[in-house]
Amino acid sequence: MRWLRFIVGLLIALTLHSLLDSFFPNALAFFNPYVILVVYYSMGGNVFGAIVAGVAAGLVQDAFSVAMFGLHAFSLTVCAYTIAYINARLVLRGTLAFGACLAGAVIVNEFVIYILVNILVKQKIEMFEQALFVKTIFTLLFGMLVYQLLTLFLREEPIEATRRPIGGW
Amino acid sequence: MEDVIRSRPTLLFFIVLALLFLVMSRSSQTRYVGETRTMFERTVMTIFSPVPKTVNWLGRSTSDMYHGYLDMRRAVNENMELRHKVAELTAKNLKLSQSESDVRRIRTLLGYSEQVDMPTTLATAIMLDTSGRFKSIVIDRGSDAGIEVNDAVVNANGLIGRVVLTTKDMAKVQLVTDGNCAVGSLVDRTRRQGVVRGDGGGGAQMYDIPSLADVVPGDTVMTAGIDGIYPKGIPVGTVVKADKGADLFKSVVVKPAVDFGSIEEVIVIHTRKIPQQVVRYAP
Repeated sequence: MRWLRFIVGLLIALTLHSLLDSFFPNALAFFNPYVILVVYYSMGGNVFGAIVAGVAAGLVQDAFSVAMFGLHAFSLTVCAYTIAYINARLVLRGTLAFGACLAGAVIVNEFVIYILVNILVKQKIEMFEQALFVKTIFTLLFGMLVYQLLTLFLREEPIEATRRPIGGW
Repeated sequence: MEDVIRSRPTLLFFIVLALLFLVMSRSSQTRYVGETRTMFERTVMTIFSPVPKTVNWLGRSTSDMYHGYLDMRRAVNENMELRHKVAELTAKNLKLSQSESDVRRIRTLLGYSEQVDMPTTLATAIMLDTSGRFKSIVIDRGSDAGIEVNDAVVNANGLIGRVVLTTKDMAKVQLVTDGNCAVGSLVDRTRRQGVVRGDGGGGAQMYDIPSLADVVPGDTVMTAGIDGIYPKGIPVGTVVKADKGADLFKSVVVKPAVDFGSIEEVIVIHTRKIPQQVVRYAP
């Protein structure tokens, strides 16, 4: 079931990617739907699953972008592994934790890409800091919204069960 | 093998990164020397290509529909505007052709009035009564415009009649076809004088023409200028019948020069009246 959700999520991310490419060609410079998907999936704490999700999402992004094939797969795998690794030990839950992980993932993702591009094609990414800042803000805002919607509609336990009883636990 | 991988995710992570780095390195070497995408890349693209294709198709269809709708709206609006314009232009065209015929008529009338060496007033017929016993029209000018009783009324075709009643802004005109109307006339070709009287229908008769006088159908009858009302030389009508009468005079039927069913603008000629004492003087 979780894999099915991931595949649906990947298709939605690709749809968004295509839509943005068609109507707002530069929109993906400000916002990355694949990072949101990978972070959401990796917060489950399953490191193996997170690696597979990172590779799959990254390869799809690579296939439909003009960057080196494998670049986004590499960076997303790093993000996915890191978040899953941390979550396996700290058990981060809730919107704020998701937001923090997402912001961290966007930053790590961009840095990894920056380094790889520098190493492999010896190219300097123009206006990297500004792009990183804008991308982090927009991805975070959109990601938090998506997370709230997913929590509302796809949660497996009833909302009542998560409420603190009167007088504390 | 699967258990080993699952139990050592960090190892898997590094293996995956190493593989991806190799793929990337190969891609970075080939991408900028004109080589197309690798087979692996093409495979991933092929698997997921329906998604962008569908999105593209949907986007294009939506855009086409939207633009089609906009075009349709624009066409409908344009169509309505054009209909309005056609209606406006048709009305304008009607008005212009009306004005053109008015101008033509008035120009003819003015030309005619210039030939008359007496003061004239242009008026418009506003009421027409040619069907009753008394044939008359009402014109839209009266004593304020200098119109007096017994002024002659004509149009470009000929004699219409005389003013029999005036108010400040209107006047009543007795037509030559009225049974009580008499016009001193002459046959243009032979200068034979007579009196034209309305027959109370749509025509007139010319009286006092001797049996031996030379009057034949087709002769033009003009005013003779001997009755103190009508100036000389205004066409009254055309002789359509000239038979031998019961006594010494001929029976001459005259068709009026004016079509009384289509009178619009008229000229009132302010004729010089014969003073009453001159008329009444009896030696």
